[in-house]
Order: sequence, then C-alpha cells, then structure tokens
Amino acid sequence: MKLTKSFNRSLWVFHLNTGSCNGCEIEIVATITPRYDPERFGMKLVGSPKHADVLLVTGPVTKKMAQKVRRVYEQVPDPKLVMCIGTCGQSGGVFYDSYNLDGPIDQILPVDVYVPGCPPRPEAIIFGVVKALEKLERLEAAQ
Amino acid sequence: MDLTAPVLTGYGIWAPVAWLAAFVAATIVVYILWKTGESSYKKGTEQGRPYLSGNAEPEKGAVHIRASNLYWGFLQALKGYYDAIVPMHTGVLTDYMVWFVAVTAVLLVIIGVLS
Ligand code: SF4
Repeated sequence: MKLTKSFNRSLWVFHLNTGSCNGCEIEIVATITPRYDPERFGMKLVGSPKHADVLLVTGPVTKKMAQKVRRVYEQVPDPKLVMCIGTCGQSGGVFYDSYNLDGPIDQILPVDVYVPGCPPRPEAIIFGVVKALEKLERLEAAQ
Repeated sequence: MDLTAPVLTGYGIWAPVAWLAAFVAATIVVYILWKTGESSYKKGTEQGRPYLSGNAEPEKGAVHIRASNLYWGFLQALKGYYDAIVPMHTGVLTDYMVWFVAVTAVLLVIIGVLS
C-alpha cells in the first residue's frame, strides 16, 4: 500500500450508517462540535467516500446494507482505513444473532480500528482516530 | 504573408506567437495540477462511478431527463386530451397513413357538402 503525503496532514472521514440505532451518530456529531473540534487537526467529515481517507462505519450491517457497504468501501480511494464505531459493528450488539444481519462489519470489510461502546463517548472516538494515525505511521515506517 | 506576424484589426490585435505562448503556459499549469492528483485512483472500478449512497448506478437512459419532463405541468393541465391522443401515437407508419387517408376523406366530404 502506497501512502500519499496528504495522510500526514489530515484525515478526511466519511461516515456510513449500516443500520445503526442513531446513538453512535449522535456521538459522532458531538465529536465534531467546537467542544472537541477535531477539525483543528485536519480531521473532518466529508460528503463523499471519494474524498475520504477513513471510512467510519456504525451499525451491525443489515442484509439490505451489506452490498451498499461494499460498494461505498470500494469508492474510497486507496490507501484507506476502516474505523468501526460502536458495539453493534463489532458483534451485532443489541442486535446480536438477528435474522436480518449480514454483519458484524468484519464479515464484510477489513476493519483497522474498533471503538467499543454503546455508544462510545467522543473522547473514545478521538482516541480511535489517534490509534488510526498510529497504524498509518507504522505502515509508513514499514515502507 | 508572414503567418506569425500580429494582425491589427479595427477591434483589437491577433498575435499568433503571444497566443501560442499563453497556450503553452496554460498547458504546463494544467499538467502540473494533473500530476499532483491521486495516482492510485482505479479507472473502471467503483471509484470511477458517481456516489449514489451505495446504490448501483442506473443505466444512463434511466436517469435521463426527457424533454416531456419539461412540459409536465402542460401535460397535466391537458391530461384528458393527451390520454386520448397518446395511445394513437403508435410510431407505426401504416397507422399514420390510415389516419391521413381517413382525415382527408372526412375533409373532402365536408368540403363537398359545404361547396
Ligand atoms: S452501538 Fe449502541 S448506540 Fe451504537 S448503533 Fe449500536 S445500539 Fe446504537
């Protein structure tokens, strides 16, 4: 995987809801408020996966969403990271073993960073982004 | 005639060499911008398609806005008329010939009666 220089400066994030209860979304929105303000580090939510470095996935991946999740993942340019926010994406959470799930998310996509919690706090989400940056630095060092 | 010489018209000046220099400069700028783009972009994959919330891209014909869409209000206002006339618009030439002959026959009868 070739890392471009833009990774050093900023991570642009695309958020994808795969069937989440909206709890995680509220925390993601709380994370980007001026109280935490991750934009000062160049991290911001973008409106298209084609502009993103990181795919932020919430929810347990319902059957209807599985194919759409794959397609959006493919639209994110390489190199890319996948962050899974919330317990749902890790195990199914409160929807565990439901008949209409194709997830959890690692059944569909390779996940780089997990942020556990139902929902996780903004501090935890920012900590997850830091872990993602660390992973990128390791990848860069290995190049 | 010197093709590279500037031409003075009543409205301005046409200088091929200056124009060529500007063109070359613009090309260089465009090339530099293009080179700074993301080279790992994969042509012919999902990365080249429009983002439609993960939905498959419909055929171009399916997303095309037809001319009739522009007349929606007009068609709606005259719905009764169009409901009757559109099914007659079969696109088959022989059908149109039948209509032509029939209308001509009716017109001739009317003209014959009136004259
Ligand atoms: S992890 Fe909890 S808050 Fe997040 S989508 Fe699942 S149920 Fe909702």
